[in-house]
Amino acid sequence: MSKLLIVDDSTMLRDMLNYALNEGGYTDVTEAIDGKDGLEKAKSMAFDLIITDVNMPNMDGITLIAELRKLPQYATKPILVLTTERSDEMKVKGKSAGATGWIVKPFVPDQLLKAVNIVLSR
Amino acid sequence: MSSFDISKYREMFLEESVELFESADNVLLEAENNGTLNDEEMGQLFRDVHTLKGSGASVELKLFAEFTHDVENMMDKLRNHQIEFQPEMVDTLMAGLDVMKELLELEVAEELTRETFTEMTQDLLIEIRKYINGEAPSSSEPKQVTSQPVQNEKTSSTQASNPSNSLGQSYGFFKEELNGTSSNDFDTQPYGFFDETIINLNDESDNFGFFDDDLQMSAFNSGSKEAKRVQQEETDDSDFFDDMPELDPNSKIEQINNHIASSNSATPQQQAASAAGAKKAADRTKEKTVATTNNIRVNLDKIDLLMNNVGDLVITNAMLTQFTTTIEDSKTRVSVLERLDLLERHIRDMQDSIMSIRMVPMESIYSKFPKVVRDISKKLGKKVEFKHYGDNVEIDKAMIEGLTDPLMHIIRNSLDHGLETPEERVKSGKDEVGFITISAEQANGQMIITIEDNGRGINADKVAQKAFDNGLIDENQLASMSANDKAMLVFGAGVSTADKITDISGRGVGMDVVKTNIQKLGGAIRLDTAVGVGTTITIVLPLTLAILDGLDIAVGTHKYILPLSSIVESLQPTTDMIKRIGDGTQDLLMLREEFIPVVKVYKLFGIEPKYRKIEDGMLIVVKSGNMKVALFIDEFLHQHQVVVKPLDKNFRSVEGIGAATVRGDGSIGLILDILGIINAQKKVEKQHIKEAQKAS
Repeated sequence: MSKLLIVDDSTMLRDMLNYALNEGGYTDVTEAIDGKDGLEKAKSMAFDLIITDVNMPNMDGITLIAELRKLPQYATKPILVLTTERSDEMKVKGKSAGATGWIVKPFVPDQLLKAVNIVLSR
Repeated sequence: MSSFDISKYREMFLEESVELFESADNVLLEAENNGTLNDEEMGQLFRDVHTLKGSGASVELKLFAEFTHDVENMMDKLRNHQIEFQPEMVDTLMAGLDVMKELLELEVAEELTRETFTEMTQDLLIEIRKYINGEAPSSSEPKQVTSQPVQNEKTSSTQASNPSNSLGQSYGFFKEELNGTSSNDFDTQPYGFFDETIINLNDESDNFGFFDDDLQMSAFNSGSKEAKRVQQEETDDSDFFDDMPELDPNSKIEQINNHIASSNSATPQQQAASAAGAKKAADRTKEKTVATTNNIRVNLDKIDLLMNNVGDLVITNAMLTQFTTTIEDSKTRVSVLERLDLLERHIRDMQDSIMSIRMVPMESIYSKFPKVVRDISKKLGKKVEFKHYGDNVEIDKAMIEGLTDPLMHIIRNSLDHGLETPEERVKSGKDEVGFITISAEQANGQMIITIEDNGRGINADKVAQKAFDNGLIDENQLASMSANDKAMLVFGAGVSTADKITDISGRGVGMDVVKTNIQKLGGAIRLDTAVGVGTTITIVLPLTLAILDGLDIAVGTHKYILPLSSIVESLQPTTDMIKRIGDGTQDLLMLREEFIPVVKVYKLFGIEPKYRKIEDGMLIVVKSGNMKVALFIDEFLHQHQVVVKPLDKNFRSVEGIGAATVRGDGSIGLILDILGIINAQKKVEKQHIKEAQKAS
């Protein structure tokens, strides 16, 4: 069973993501409320996929991704960044930090699951 | 695909939006005061609005998200220094936030039509778009936003020229087919993979993407013309990516951002501005109290449940203790009692911990006030400095709701009637800027909140006269009342000496409601005023509603619990202390020149007492606010702490009984509602007066 970690400061968004992932068969989902919380949780458990928002207090998503990539256990694990911005700037930032891919917010559950399935089946 | 419970998520969004709006409002208030907006503040503003937009879109609040998008755009340009901040922008932005709040409420209530939306946003949008285009709204005539290429914008040019379409691309949530646009714009792709060489994209817009060849390929099978276009873009940037330095948090990200910014735009001003901004931001952050903490949101009901559970523990422990007294072997009994004692201490610790969870800093009440003060003072043309103290003083969350409105009303009154206009103030030798301060502190297990202004004070005689005219007091009282007591009459219904009724206050309905609400919380309110100098209102509250220190009293075979905080004194009355009036149905206690009505508890509750003569039993003088009565009971027993359980949730409301608890022996303890008893007594008195008047 794949262990997923979702990092977002909005309780509402976390709830929605959780729900969508559960519906798609991913029931082992852990939530973190900001980058700092996310990093701590990631260190304490081995997640197979991390999905993170960008704009959060106490460490934003880009920094979180960069930090995760420094850890040996997450050097090559899939990390998806959630963003409402479609500009190239966002993609460059995400890519530079080491993200595997991106998902746009608001997300479409089908698409979310598609992306998750792809990275996890690798 | 499964269906989301949109209404549940919208509720969550409404809750979350409150904090976001407050945060944004406060940043703008700061900016207004300082006349500047530093980088950190701009960033905070942007993030708040950005989150509002994203979350709003996620719960399908299309119109809200549409308008917010424009506000966000303006914030974005500001933080990227593509447009320069002007002080006039604060008004526009604040108005924008206000409109957003209204739109949000209307759309959630499903009462927002496109027509209403256009009405509400039209003018503001024109202003915002002018600012975005680098014009000052006052200078040029209103015109539709054109698609002038705004510097460095690859994406928003489409938005500027197609305002109604702009949001069609960024959400499309609970629909089977995506709200894809027909354009081939790369940015409509809702997901993607960070592939350096080839990105094969489906014609149907996908909401995700991968930065890796293989992933991208496996996600998307067919190549398309998109790929080539993207490839070009990628190769253009390729050497930029190559000399990307090793990544390290924050500072490096900053560098990268600047790098990106500078490779796209060429204005050195930006670098200079951001450096200056950074310094200002550093200074500003030092002043701010650290607000970032590791918090979780918990529903208050869950904490109440937890409190109940611990309350049950207390009761069970008490039962065990009582049972232990029946153990005959004294050695065993003593050692069991010792251990139970220890258990009790642990349980009390647990109670304290849970109580502290319920405690919330006053700051959460204060945060709403600055904006209101600003709005009203502007409206009234008054200059006000508003300060708040005791932000960190904690109060039970359950009390916040009941407290916010009264405090808000008192502040509004102060602004409306208390503080004079700048001209008036100068005339009377005061500084043209008036002040209002609110402060909170804890003392003696109570919370004391003080609201002070240096306005014109309350004319006690005028108030008393009005009260007399309204029949609230009679001639004797009018003549004998002290100045302060007269001023306290403002808390009576219909008493307002305001010459004008504004939509803010003046109808004389507010202050009495304030007093009632404070009393409902178990508190009291006091007023000190001096004409021409100012007014101070003091509110005293218990720290929590959940636990009470009570005294067991007995009437016949029944026991009740009396809140300790309401007790003034107790005494064994002598015959000469009791005066009978009227037809003998009402007794008065004469205590140190004060006449206090006696309430016979057995009569009130219709039960058989041990004593019917007052001299045989006990009198306990209790108070609520400024009113006193003397309760006639058989005897009083011991005092203890009880966990309060509201009555109407479990049963229904009963006059004279405020709440209930379960005692150590398993019996139900009814807690007396002193205010209720006093009100009941007043009703009886009024009845007697009426009958007496009829008879005469």
